[in-house]
Amino acid sequence: MPEQATARAATVEFEHVTKHYERREAKDGALGAVNDLSLVVPAGKICVLVGPSGCGKTTSLKMVNRLIEPTSGRILLDGVDAAARDVTELRRSIGYVIQQVGLFPHQTIAENVATVPRLLGWPSARQRQRAEELLQLVGLDPATYATRYPVELSGGERQRVGVARALAADPPIMLMDEPFGAVDPIVRERLQDEFLRLQETLAKTILFVTHDIDEAIKMGDLVAVLADGGALAQFGRPAEILASPATPFVARFVGADRGLKRLSLRRVDDLELLPPVTANVRDMGTADLLRALASSFPWLLLVDDLGRPAGWIARGDVRPGVPLADAPTVAAEPLVDRSATLKDALSRLLDADVHAGIVVDRERRVRGLVTVAGIAALLRETAGPDRGPGEADPLDLGDAMP
Amino acid sequence: MNIHWDWIAGNLDEIAGATLEHLELTLIAVGVGFALSLLLALAIYRWRRLYGPVAGVAGLLYTIPSLALFAVLVPFTGLSVLTAEIGLVGYTLLILIRGIVSGLDGVPRDAVEAATGMGYAAGQRLSRVELPLAVPVIVTSVRLATVTTIGLVMVTALIGEGGLGQLMLRGFNRGFPTMVYVGVVMSVVLAVTLDLVLVGLQRLLTPWARKRTA
Repeated sequence: MPEQATARAATVEFEHVTKHYERREAKDGALGAVNDLSLVVPAGKICVLVGPSGCGKTTSLKMVNRLIEPTSGRILLDGVDAAARDVTELRRSIGYVIQQVGLFPHQTIAENVATVPRLLGWPSARQRQRAEELLQLVGLDPATYATRYPVELSGGERQRVGVARALAADPPIMLMDEPFGAVDPIVRERLQDEFLRLQETLAKTILFVTHDIDEAIKMGDLVAVLADGGALAQFGRPAEILASPATPFVARFVGADRGLKRLSLRRVDDLELLPPVTANVRDMGTADLLRALASSFPWLLLVDDLGRPAGWIARGDVRPGVPLADAPTVAAEPLVDRSATLKDALSRLLDADVHAGIVVDRERRVRGLVTVAGIAALLRETAGPDRGPGEADPLDLGDAMP
Repeated sequence: MNIHWDWIAGNLDEIAGATLEHLELTLIAVGVGFALSLLLALAIYRWRRLYGPVAGVAGLLYTIPSLALFAVLVPFTGLSVLTAEIGLVGYTLLILIRGIVSGLDGVPRDAVEAATGMGYAAGQRLSRVELPLAVPVIVTSVRLATVTTIGLVMVTALIGEGGLGQLMLRGFNRGFPTMVYVGVVMSVVLAVTLDLVLVGLQRLLTPWARKRTA
């Protein structure tokens, strides 16, 4: 992967931004109005604007690159009023990705990607080089794709090209309007994952519009929930919004399964793992083992000489003086990766015979157990507006909340 | 059908001259008509409200019988190339204006929005995104206008122009059908040739339009 990382990102600040539509305008566009929107997106963060259709999320996005001008209020980019900047210069400094991608059918993929560099008058050799770098970055082999036309690509490939094109001139801000909305769910999930991985190095300031609360929770460092009429209903970290919806509207919008949704925000790493009662496969059953099992998770975990899981024995099958190898064993499952989300971990637990996940490290050595009770305890602990452990707050949202 | 091949062999120069004149009248008419139509179509694209009036006038021109139009013009501009071209250009306008406007209207909205959002100035967007994407529809209308004009050039024989039309007119007057046949055949050859040239031009201009969907 070519050198990509730049620290360039800008804060985006909405200051009492309002957009009313005249009746005539409102008729031909389904764009929603925006009502006194104030929020701050810190540099390098992904802020997702989410809400039902007509809630003004796309309008809000398009006011940043001035495809729509606000009726009142200001949008500050790194402290500078967007309205004070030359509009074409402003737009060239902001990456823009839309749902239908909007690739130019008459240009090759490389030409499409180099759009903004070309507008900025880069030398053509540098344009070409930049296009190849970016295709590589989004996982498209330049040798295969550079000279093709958009019509020859699949929907997912086109979306990648759309992202590459938006990144071409290394803009500090990206606007993404349902960028993964037009592809099937499997491709969408892959594109989301890839984009989050990219963002780890790019660290752009990203405004991301979606109507899908699950996507919002997954993609957002911050989520702004907009209600009908374009009012900001809640603005905060995804975990906060799920744990304590500010209004009944937000609660309805995030859904009755918000408890389950929160599971996808946390990883096994966040849990305090339960230490398992373990024994080597060649050991004998002992009274000590039975005592330990009585006060802990009631399954004995057999490990091999290297500390890797070899099987489960139920407490009732452990007999003092009898070799453990003679006891009936259950396969050592489910193995759970430390970076798995709690949602995936829980799903594995519920499917298995033994309702505990064996967390292993890279060498497959046992690190501990994850249990349903442990997951529930973590959620209880982090319910409410206070932050979960390990979530030191780099964001000052104090002024941003209405 | 009694064709005098010896007449044809002996008058190749005259046939070629008439064909070239026919070609010239056609190209001037379509060229000037296209330039005018492009300006009018762009104005319509920008100010949509012009569409009704402009298309109305062009449509009115189109409905005037050609012979009548030329007859009306002669007192002002005489029996001249100018008279012929005014009429011929007038007949191309409706086809070309409609073609260019619908070509521009057919440009994918998302491409236009992306172009605007990425910082194309309006003029750049028109010349680098919208017009190139409208080329297939525009070329189709130019082909139609060209073939129509080749037919109308025949009529201008009645005001002393006409290229192959002259040839045919003289053939009628002398009761010498060979000249008429030659006029018909050569005008068809001209129409087919120009059409093929335009198709070739379009393929050259729009390599992207021939690609298959993934």
